[in-house]
Amino acid sequence: MSESVAELTSGTGGALPLGAYSRPKGGGGWRDWVTTVDHKKIGILYGATALFFFGIGGLEALLIRLQLATPNGTVVGADLYNQIYTMHGVTMVFLVIMPMAAAFANYLLPLQIGARDVAFPRLNALSFWIFLAGGLFLNCAWLVGDAPDGGWFAYAPNTGVTFSPGHGMDYYAIGLQIAGIASLISAMNLIVTVLNMRAPGMTLFKMPVFTWMVLVVQFLLLFAVPVITVALFLLLFDRNFGANFFNPEMGADPLLWQHLFWIFGHPEVYILVLPSFGIVSEVIPTFSRKPIFGYEFMVFSGIAIGFLGWGVWAHHMFVSGIGPISVGAFTLSTMFIAVPTGVKILNWMATMWGGKIRLNSAMLFATGVVSMFTIGGLSGVTHSLSPADTQQTDTYYVVAHFHYVIFGGALLGFFAGFYFWWPKAFGHKLGETLGKWNFWLMIVGFNMTFGPMHILGLNGMSRRIDTYSPGFGFEFWNLFATFGVFVIASGVMCFVANVILSARRARGLPPEPPDPWDARSPEWFSPNPTPVHNFDEVIEISSLDEFWHRKWTTNEDGKVVRRATAAEVCHTGDAVGVHLPSPSYWPIVLAAGLPLIGFGLLYNLWICVPGTLMVLGSIYAWVFEPPDDPDGPFGEGHGHGEEPAEEPPGEREVASVE
Amino acid sequence: MWKILRPAGLLGLFGSIVALAGCASDAELDTLKPQGPYARTIDSLSDPVFIVAGVVFLIIFGGTGYLWWRFHDDHSDEEYPEQIHGNFRLEILWTIVPTLILVVIGAFTIVTLVDISSREDNAMALSVDGESTMWEPEVVVVGQQWWWEYRYYFGGLEGIDLSDARNLPPADIVTANQLVIPIGEEIELKITSRDVIHSHWIPALNGKRDAVPGRVTYWKVNADEPGVYFGQCTEFCGLSHSRMRMQAVALSASDFQAWVDQQLEPAAEPTDPAAVAGKAIFETQCARCHVINGVNGPHDDEPSKGADLVSNAAPNLTHLMSRSTYAGGIFNLYEPDGSLDRTQLEAWLRNAPAEKPAYAEGRRGMPALGLGETEIDNVVAYLQILGTIPSIDVIVATEVE
Repeated sequence: MSESVAELTSGTGGALPLGAYSRPKGGGGWRDWVTTVDHKKIGILYGATALFFFGIGGLEALLIRLQLATPNGTVVGADLYNQIYTMHGVTMVFLVIMPMAAAFANYLLPLQIGARDVAFPRLNALSFWIFLAGGLFLNCAWLVGDAPDGGWFAYAPNTGVTFSPGHGMDYYAIGLQIAGIASLISAMNLIVTVLNMRAPGMTLFKMPVFTWMVLVVQFLLLFAVPVITVALFLLLFDRNFGANFFNPEMGADPLLWQHLFWIFGHPEVYILVLPSFGIVSEVIPTFSRKPIFGYEFMVFSGIAIGFLGWGVWAHHMFVSGIGPISVGAFTLSTMFIAVPTGVKILNWMATMWGGKIRLNSAMLFATGVVSMFTIGGLSGVTHSLSPADTQQTDTYYVVAHFHYVIFGGALLGFFAGFYFWWPKAFGHKLGETLGKWNFWLMIVGFNMTFGPMHILGLNGMSRRIDTYSPGFGFEFWNLFATFGVFVIASGVMCFVANVILSARRARGLPPEPPDPWDARSPEWFSPNPTPVHNFDEVIEISSLDEFWHRKWTTNEDGKVVRRATAAEVCHTGDAVGVHLPSPSYWPIVLAAGLPLIGFGLLYNLWICVPGTLMVLGSIYAWVFEPPDDPDGPFGEGHGHGEEPAEEPPGEREVASVE
Repeated sequence: MWKILRPAGLLGLFGSIVALAGCASDAELDTLKPQGPYARTIDSLSDPVFIVAGVVFLIIFGGTGYLWWRFHDDHSDEEYPEQIHGNFRLEILWTIVPTLILVVIGAFTIVTLVDISSREDNAMALSVDGESTMWEPEVVVVGQQWWWEYRYYFGGLEGIDLSDARNLPPADIVTANQLVIPIGEEIELKITSRDVIHSHWIPALNGKRDAVPGRVTYWKVNADEPGVYFGQCTEFCGLSHSRMRMQAVALSASDFQAWVDQQLEPAAEPTDPAAVAGKAIFETQCARCHVINGVNGPHDDEPSKGADLVSNAAPNLTHLMSRSTYAGGIFNLYEPDGSLDRTQLEAWLRNAPAEKPAYAEGRRGMPALGLGETEIDNVVAYLQILGTIPSIDVIVATEVE
């Protein structure tokens, strides 16, 4: 059976239906990128795409601030403003922060657990291409001039066909549906990877904190995304097939949407910030030159946030009229989710205490998270006072709050991660001078933009208003905030310049030597940039911070003394013949079919036909495509328990699950 | 060292400027200036928590700065600091202390929640059509794209079916965009919506409550002093969400009685020719959506006159001139001296969607009626006789550009 399948799809048959294509061989250039199943390349693709959408979302933010800079603003009209603010939120949440977390998770998770790749490399590629398809589909709404205008929260019945007759909300529903498929696939893939592919000796409680946080996030995604999937399907059926799930005229209760959306939406907040918490928990110990303070507390607080995050959704609905008993219960649950978050903040500070802090760009961004996220956390506590929330909700106070959480908590953490792991991915560090400019401009601009929004909100400025009248005391801080956004933009420009200049500077130079930061976790065993096969040999893990413990030990006086140099500990990366999964065309072809189905639903059902054929055809071809290219060096041996044709170096092959 | 701390110092300085300048003087929607008991209860709950949060923030922010300064690696030697892996007691401590703080805050919060969720019986004496009656102060609030309707049922709400906001039973008073209330009384609001979700918020008097179609939500307001208190729809409700505003006009008991008496008057009959012509235009054009009691409906405001509208209603104009704002509370009907702001009203009648974004072609919001200039003059002449001008205090207080 397997032989005939191999024949069928090997590309050598030619006469057979699926033999028309030949399997991608890699070999450099763009083909390498579109067919890759390498978790590192996929990670970089995620990161680059997230940064591209960050540009779009940032541009939208700029327009929002220009419109609101002065009272009775006329930069964009009410209609366009509603589209812009909706797309700003959707873009930043689903197309920037989530994929940026996926970028770090994809790149680092297999490295941190000492694995060669994720459990399902082709599925991993599929996740990325589906995410990209969803993101592009969503933004196609701009091209047809009919972007979603119901807010990222899309409260029914304002999003029904009566009140939003254009195609905007359909783009929202279908685009997010497609992106949701990507999140689900990726969540399953990473959970299986962490649970099955850890290096020998790495028990769960020897996993780096970042890996832990990513694992928690994948479980949140696994259970939260199906809820929004259901909600989006209901919305789609309401809008396109005359269903009445959210139509109050037919007796539906519009609060149904709110419950569904926030049961997804609140865990989503932790989906957004926990990866960044993981990054900060890697950066702060390295640059404080101390182990993370209270590893178990850090892990358990992350897990606790993951669990408690499911019991607080109705705090988004304190003024919806859900009744005082529900409000009381959700008030208390919301308050207590602050406890595990507070533990994290204090443990980070305790990690720095007594350390030798190296304030480079990565560390600046990480400590930026500690202080800026604290502001978001504290304003969050003030929201949890449900009576006070009846004044604060849907004002700019909330806008300030969640920007301190998502910008201050998540985005700053990702920038810390960029500076920290850049040499790991690209073989050179980002420049420190521009890095510090990047940090200071961003943090000052961030506080200029969002700090005053606390005041505006308490002064009574509503959210989601395209304009305001003079005389309410909103003028000064709105103008001020608009200046701030340009400072943020200049900070981001510094980052872009840093990326370009440091790459140019590094051209022709040998790559960064291994272990540029005297780091602690296993990803640094591999040289920079990470070779395609990750590790030359299987790492045996005996402790948390295995990498550090191989370099340093404590003598009888309690002093830390060197045991080995980084060069001795790190792999050279010159192993050859390591068994790697083969690239495949099918993930991108399958993903490309989904938006076609989406367009078909909107404009002409016939467009669904090629889309469906692409999806079904790719699944069919995928199923019969062996994990390894039969023409490749491992094609014969795989699945038959035989040794590969070439002897892999090292004691034994890096574990893999196909 | 200073190189590092200088920007941090600037940040701190900036923070204090922000804190000081936070007290804007003319903030009509300020949540921190309560003008009634419920808003004050909320304020006295949140103020101490703001202070606690501020102190915690300063500890963390200052702590991070201190750690930067105190434990900065000066590269004097390459030795590693002591490798501390944690301290169980300390971590238990900073799990328990925040928990205890939150337990205290939580207790106060629940007490306040019960307080602002409770309803009292506070029937007040009122004379309705010459008959004295006891009225439990309550107002039915109906949100609609993009204005508010207020309905008064002096016979009480028992037996009144509010479940279908598009077919509400006739009310004694139907007005729009200005919620008129007597001071010092708990006014219950029964809030619903005719189309999408809105949120009713008058920050000086209480927090906000959503207007959900198909549901009736309960809320209450109470004002200490006579005056005008601004509000704004705070749940995104589509195109003109930002232009869906309202005011609460709080009156003394006697002024409130006078207002009720005026509102119960039948609509004025035009006498001069322009107004008569205006009434004819009203009957052919405006009456498709608007109601004037006794003109295109019985005295008791027959509902569902706005058959052309998605939401089935437009503001009742019987006593238009008794309100100082219109079009969702965004335009002033009067100049500060009490004379009619004719220019704005004419512009509104000429081409409403140009003055306030609306999907008039989708039957949401007032359309451009295509009236000629003479017709507009006639309509204005007619509207001008509908209702008594409010007090100059109210007119001045609602002056918003």
